[in-house]
Amino acid sequence: MRRSLSLGRAVIYFILIFGSLGMSFPMLYGIVGSFCDFADFAARPWFPMPTKLYLENYTILFTPRFTSAVQTWLWIRNTLIRIIWYICITGTIAVLAGYVFARLEFRGRNTAFLYLLSSMMIPGIVFWIPTYVIMARWPGVGGNDWTGQGGKGLVDSWPALLITGWVNVYYIFLLRQTFYSIPLDFEEAARVDGASTLRVLKDVYLPMLKPTLTVLVIFQFVTFWNDYQWPLIVSSGNREIWTLALGFQKMLFVGASAKGLVGTAVIDYPFSFAMAVVATAPLIVLFMGLQSYFVEGVQGFALKG
Amino acid sequence: MTALTTRAAPNLELSSRERFARWRRRHRQPFEAWLILGPILAYYSFFFIFPVVANVFVSLTRWTGVYDRPIWVGLENYRKYLEPPYPLTLFNTLLFTVTILSISTALAFLIAVLLNEKVIGRGLYRAMWYIPTLTSAAITSQVMFAFISPYDGVFNAVLKALGQKIVIWTLRPGWMRTFVIGYSVWRGVGTPVVLFLAALQGIHPEIYEAAMVDGADYWRLLRYITVPLLRPMVIFVLITGTIAGFQIFETVMLITAGGQANVASTGGPHGMTNVMLLQIYKDAFVSSNLGRAAAGSVITAIILLWFTTTNMRIMSRGQVER
Repeated sequence: MRRSLSLGRAVIYFILIFGSLGMSFPMLYGIVGSFCDFADFAARPWFPMPTKLYLENYTILFTPRFTSAVQTWLWIRNTLIRIIWYICITGTIAVLAGYVFARLEFRGRNTAFLYLLSSMMIPGIVFWIPTYVIMARWPGVGGNDWTGQGGKGLVDSWPALLITGWVNVYYIFLLRQTFYSIPLDFEEAARVDGASTLRVLKDVYLPMLKPTLTVLVIFQFVTFWNDYQWPLIVSSGNREIWTLALGFQKMLFVGASAKGLVGTAVIDYPFSFAMAVVATAPLIVLFMGLQSYFVEGVQGFALKG
Repeated sequence: MTALTTRAAPNLELSSRERFARWRRRHRQPFEAWLILGPILAYYSFFFIFPVVANVFVSLTRWTGVYDRPIWVGLENYRKYLEPPYPLTLFNTLLFTVTILSISTALAFLIAVLLNEKVIGRGLYRAMWYIPTLTSAAITSQVMFAFISPYDGVFNAVLKALGQKIVIWTLRPGWMRTFVIGYSVWRGVGTPVVLFLAALQGIHPEIYEAAMVDGADYWRLLRYITVPLLRPMVIFVLITGTIAGFQIFETVMLITAGGQANVASTGGPHGMTNVMLLQIYKDAFVSSNLGRAAAGSVITAIILLWFTTTNMRIMSRGQVER
């Protein structure tokens, strides 16, 4: 009995260790590969080993030598602006709406909530085209006249990257559930002291909402750090407002040409690995630091939703 | 009569402002609720509901380019969906969804059950399975070309090093589909692992202990306790996974792009990996055929709505039976 049990554990560890290594292999490969030059990379394709300290792939990404093409710092800045904006706006709306649905009595509450929920069933693709048209035909901006004709509208400009997606029903739902879990006594005590609703939200609830809001912050961070589809549709023509994912996606050939291989169809793989490392590393650091919140967030969507 | 006047009198003396303040106090909750919800619902109607309705109208028109005038064509766009390349894109979408979902659900279940045993370093394993989910799909699927490039990719370099003949992966539909599936499983399996593990840890140990007292062995415990109790979570993973699977887009586009910027040629070889969303994207933003693309997204939405509602009905029926 004991022997078969320990054999079972050996099998468990065997599968787990090799499975986990298999999952990490592409990333380990990419990290190591990003420190290789062409020769080192070609020497051992099954697992590249840098023979010297070679940082050129990262230098190309981060030095202003190639500003015309690679503007990593600018794209990181753009991405961070969007992240902060979306954390603030979806967070504020989710807290307010969550409070309204959890705590206030009014006619039409369920109807309003169902109305908001209805969009969860609809795939994001449905919004692409009409929203793109709304952006392109926005009256009075980007050379458009008041009927929305003539110019580009909001396409390829900052507002197009900031104006959509403020209402996130998942987070409203999550916040509502959190409000339900907080006893009413705290609010009543504050009300007796004459606190207004905003004051109650700010002083009473906000400290207690911190775990849920942390989940919101990290998931919005990941979402908008990686956001690619909407920036691709709406900002491809203006590299000044590209986000990191879009900018890097369009930069595949820059590495080879920066190293003097102009005019060839060669893709610089070590360089592309370096891009992937730069684009992923912040999220992995975030994950390692806040692993429990990630787990809670993933569950929150399933168990409460 | 006197009572009426005395009761009405203070009201008459009040200024309209004070009366409003009173009304507000009495109706504080509905007032505040609609004060907050009003703008949110207005925004939501404009950016979420209006596009959905508008999309249906656009799908009934021929509309080539944002600045042209849409021409009413009825169901023509939908009829076109019976002709190539659309049936193939539907087939590929279904193929990818079913294979990716079944592989990653089964794999995630296995890993979660193993992690639920008292293993050392559980958090580390879980992190290793979840981290691919965090990577940017756009960038990592593009980097995948480093492995599958027929000229200088890693796979062929390994084949050469082993003295084998190289394979032109990009011309082999089977291989390209395999790569798309493999990549998607790699990037997508982390979430179900976390979810299944959480559900497993939510099962009370007493249930297992009671069953073990009754003489159940490991496999019976798995079959008669773990699997049924995990059913709601499995269904959740299947529903969300299907919705996500149907929206597979940038993965296919960038893996099959071969590092080229030319979107029109993606989904290859010969459209054999083309999926619905990629075709919608091409229709809308490469061929400027907005009506056709809108029809595609309406079809996608209908399939998904039908699927989700059917599933939820099955799920609720299951709960009633239990």
